[in-house]
Amino acid sequence: MSVSRDDFSIAFRSALLQRGATQKFSIFSLIIVALVVFFLDVYGFTVVKTARSFINDVVYRVTYLASFPTRLFPGINQGIASHFNLKKENEELREVIERYKSLDLNLEYISNENKNLKKVLDTENVQSVSNVVLAKVLVDRNSPFLKSIIINKGSKEGIIKGMPVTQNKYLVGRIVETNYLSSRVLLLNDLNSRIPVTFDEKSTQAILTGGGTRKPTLLYLPEDYQFTEDITVFASGKDGIFNAGTPIGKTKENGEVELFVDPNQLSFVTVNLIKPSKEVF
Amino acid sequence: MAKGNILNKIFASGPLILLYYLSISEIDANLEKLFEVFSLNLQIIIIYFWIIKRPNLMGAGHVFVAGFINDVVMGFPLGISSLSYLIVCFVGNYVRNKSVNTTIASDWLTFLIALLFANLLFFSLLNNFSDVAISYEKIGYNTFFTLFLFPVFWFLFNLYQMSFIGSQDA
Repeated sequence: MSVSRDDFSIAFRSALLQRGATQKFSIFSLIIVALVVFFLDVYGFTVVKTARSFINDVVYRVTYLASFPTRLFPGINQGIASHFNLKKENEELREVIERYKSLDLNLEYISNENKNLKKVLDTENVQSVSNVVLAKVLVDRNSPFLKSIIINKGSKEGIIKGMPVTQNKYLVGRIVETNYLSSRVLLLNDLNSRIPVTFDEKSTQAILTGGGTRKPTLLYLPEDYQFTEDITVFASGKDGIFNAGTPIGKTKENGEVELFVDPNQLSFVTVNLIKPSKEVF
Repeated sequence: MAKGNILNKIFASGPLILLYYLSISEIDANLEKLFEVFSLNLQIIIIYFWIIKRPNLMGAGHVFVAGFINDVVMGFPLGISSLSYLIVCFVGNYVRNKSVNTTIASDWLTFLIALLFANLLFFSLLNNFSDVAISYEKIGYNTFFTLFLFPVFWFLFNLYQMSFIGSQDA
């Protein structure tokens, strides 16, 4: 019995403390270092924050370069396919332009009407969204646990935590981490994402909750609420972070929301430089 | 002769290069577009296999740095992936010290222990000390698929070892 316990302790100690011929550190010493780094980072010491910001900027750039081959191959495929579809695409684009031209004519009328209605409602103090930053998606690593992307603009451009991120005016997520040259965007389908939203003609209020799946879900609805398909969901702006009326997606019958922007297909996004009225995260 | 030596060194560094590349690049084993629940922690499989078979090719320092890079890319608190990878190293080292001959069955069983310890530490630290919320369902699927596909990668890595590095066990 004692022999077996000795045997166990020898193997245990050896596994933890022994270094191989080519190894400079024992596992035990590295575990201690990792624990120290972890707690310093979690409890947010200024030195670690600054160091992390610098490391993030460097690593994100390297990640972008290292991921070049993975972007190249789908790009070549798409290039060949689009070459053969040029004529068809041209015709489609002409149709789209015609459609936009007709929409443009309506736009002026609608915006004038909107301005007048806002005056009536005395809501002229709505925050301006003209101040936006266009950013490229550097890293879009599809983690099973965290749904986030890294963009190539950071605090240098005036980005701070909590700012809303959109693509084609559709809400994509919000900034949760800023470095000098890059930022991390938490997507709407992440488990940590909670957005106050409004939808349907009764202006029903709910919280759009990410679940780590492709489609976020509407929670905290009125009792016995019956979902109807294809109702557009907008940000309600009640959190003081997102602009009221930013479109997000369409409802499904099971309470999920089909997002207008596919979180896995982001290349460029815009960060709205609106200072959130309260601290986020 | 010298050319052969360089080639041997490159082949021997293959697992380490793959580990670093998986940690730093956008490549992931999370095929949620095809199969929503599928996700795999390939880094843990690489570390465990090579620690058991060829510990001299998978230094603990490299494992620590790869985990550190993974944390930066994934947005986790620094050091948490390093810790879970080092736990896998530790279990692998222990199993190697205690066993004379390993088979795929014994490796698979002991890998389950390493995976459980590593994930337990990872998620308990994340839940208790960080603001990041994690879905238990996702953890379960990730652990299941990583364990389930271990034999596939065991064969692939074994083939690589026999073809490019040498057939001798550590």
